[in-house]
Amino acid sequence: MRNKHWKAILLFLTPTVVLYALFFVFPLGYVFFVSFIRWSGAIPTGFAGFQNYLDIFHNPTFAVSIRNNIIWALSLGIGQIALSALVAMILARGPWGWRFLRTVYFLPNVISQVAISMMWIAIYNAEYGALNRILEQIGLGHLARNWLGLVETALPAIIIQQLLYVGYFMIIILASTMSIPTSYYEAAQIDGASVLQQERYITLPLIRGILVTSSILAMAYGLRHFEATFLMTAGGPANSTSVMGIMLFNNLHFLQYGRANAIGAVLIVLGALIIVTMRRTIGRQSEEIVAKG
Amino acid sequence: MKHRVLFLSICLLVVLAVYGDLFAAAQKEGGEIVLTFPTFWVGQDSKAGPIADLVQQFNADNAGKIRVVIEANPDTDGYRTKLNTSLAAGVVPDIFVFNPDPTTFQYYDADILMDITEELKGAWAQDFAPGYIEASTKKGRAKTVPFETGLTPIWYNQELFGRAGLGDFPKNFDDFWAAAEKLKAAGIVPTSQMTGGANAWTSMLWYSHILASISGPEVWKNPLTHPQYVQAAEILLRMYQDGNTTKDAVGGDAGVAGGHYMAGRTAIFINGPWYIGRIKKDAPAVHAVTKLAHAPAVKAGAYGGEIGFQLSNLAAANTKDPARKAAVLKFLRWMTKPENVKMISERSGAMFALKYQLGAQVDPLLKQFIEISSSAKFSVGHFESQYPVAVTQELGQALGAMALGKATAKEFVQMLIQASK
Repeated sequence: MRNKHWKAILLFLTPTVVLYALFFVFPLGYVFFVSFIRWSGAIPTGFAGFQNYLDIFHNPTFAVSIRNNIIWALSLGIGQIALSALVAMILARGPWGWRFLRTVYFLPNVISQVAISMMWIAIYNAEYGALNRILEQIGLGHLARNWLGLVETALPAIIIQQLLYVGYFMIIILASTMSIPTSYYEAAQIDGASVLQQERYITLPLIRGILVTSSILAMAYGLRHFEATFLMTAGGPANSTSVMGIMLFNNLHFLQYGRANAIGAVLIVLGALIIVTMRRTIGRQSEEIVAKG
Repeated sequence: MKHRVLFLSICLLVVLAVYGDLFAAAQKEGGEIVLTFPTFWVGQDSKAGPIADLVQQFNADNAGKIRVVIEANPDTDGYRTKLNTSLAAGVVPDIFVFNPDPTTFQYYDADILMDITEELKGAWAQDFAPGYIEASTKKGRAKTVPFETGLTPIWYNQELFGRAGLGDFPKNFDDFWAAAEKLKAAGIVPTSQMTGGANAWTSMLWYSHILASISGPEVWKNPLTHPQYVQAAEILLRMYQDGNTTKDAVGGDAGVAGGHYMAGRTAIFINGPWYIGRIKKDAPAVHAVTKLAHAPAVKAGAYGGEIGFQLSNLAAANTKDPARKAAVLKFLRWMTKPENVKMISERSGAMFALKYQLGAQVDPLLKQFIEISSSAKFSVGHFESQYPVAVTQELGQALGAMALGKATAKEFVQMLIQASK
């Protein structure tokens, strides 16, 4: 049965649909289209079939990049969210100075990633970096090394400094935590539950939905990660910290636009698969818990 | 009432902003041709001042008719990326700096660059030193104007050498390694190296010097499968071992390599004349004691060769507007006028593909560049000028792998061959 307001609905929906098609659907389609042509950026040179995909799959750096992107996704999706949740749950208890701490933890999120990365490059520097100096001062000088210049330490060094910036997700989780009625905690306290038990049996189940959503967002960021690695190591040393975003960027630099778009297409498909899987597994379990509750 | 006033104020601001923009656009369209000139010759670059002065003078001389607007892009690698993206999107700046290498010369095949072949055949050609216009001509077409050239001999700190009991720079690698040991014994790190940046610049130049010593002027006729590349890699690897370079060389960029030399932490460095202005300003004490030398020769290799190349050309967007084309050509001729280029050279230390004579008060380091250029037995381009960007970029990664013991010299070259496919 036709909705009598269909004209109004169409009128209100059209601008959004047009913008969505223009800025999302069309570029997405164009990425896949260009991934099948050989294009140097100057003049298109014809249909390449699957050659661009074969070229990137045969590149040894490609496997490393995919692996690193998955490591990033898991590190941020699990590690950073866990840290954010921990900080949020502590702040939700309202300790002294919690409002100040909330601001301090969020502050790095308003600072440019470029500035943050430059700062960490200086901290990690082998010759004059603060980290090595501190290690020497506390008698652990034998641990001092070229943190960003060693295959074993470069990737962990970049990931750790990103994990520490918990402010963004902390704010989201904190808002969710603070919306839980205090009567639940009071009742639990009367029943003799400790703080840890309260957090485990009250807070965590009730914020599970927001934790899942935050985890998915963090994993999406990990899959499209680029800035910190590009600024700090440019994918080195020996391509050990390379991610798909950097491979894509490098191929643009090499005037290999077809290959760059092929990498983009793979990233889109991989990201969609991971996010959909996450939503269907952990997301479904979360919905069931909320429904039962 | 308050909300109404606020709303009206915001509307007024928006209208003024839009009107202001339209007014400005109308001003531009009122007869004056505005040419955009994105460049990295800004900020800390030694040519920033003289280039800005030349543009200002040009604008003053052509007031109301032509106005060149410099768009600052301080980062060289970022500039190139931004430019590639713009060119691929068909958005070509009116005038820009073109980095001539096998990858960028592909743009000659497209219809996006102004073809100046005929203009460069006339009187204008007489201003250029021999060979440069030919080097900028591909398939019979010249689509960029030769401008800045590079020469990258070895720089060494005479004071640090003296402290280690050393005299002149060694002429062969046996003496070089012996000198390195003496420097280390005196608590001085011998060389600045780097695997970072887009092209591992300092180490790439060392690699080029070593290759030139192995195979002489015909070095680049040999493909990557030639044994010269493995032999040179083995020598380059030693520069990263046993404390012959700084601990942050792997992953370090030009700022790291140059910074160590300017801070007096390393004794040996490589760079071109454009760095003279920078070192004079930021490290005058090191500038005063820097001497230049040819690279040491490998066993049974050539000594006295130099790495010389076209560093930056000037290019312009293709246009069907004759007035615009005339304006662009007028500016390009202004920038390549020998007296203007001489001024840039004297103030910045840079060298150019034009014929000009420097004055008596030339910087002592620039004077050394001219002397070493004259004394060079032969000159070849550097590695980056011979291979596509993909190979040069992989050189830094492969060098990092080799320096960290993750790849042998043979595997290092294999990585370059893989990148060339």
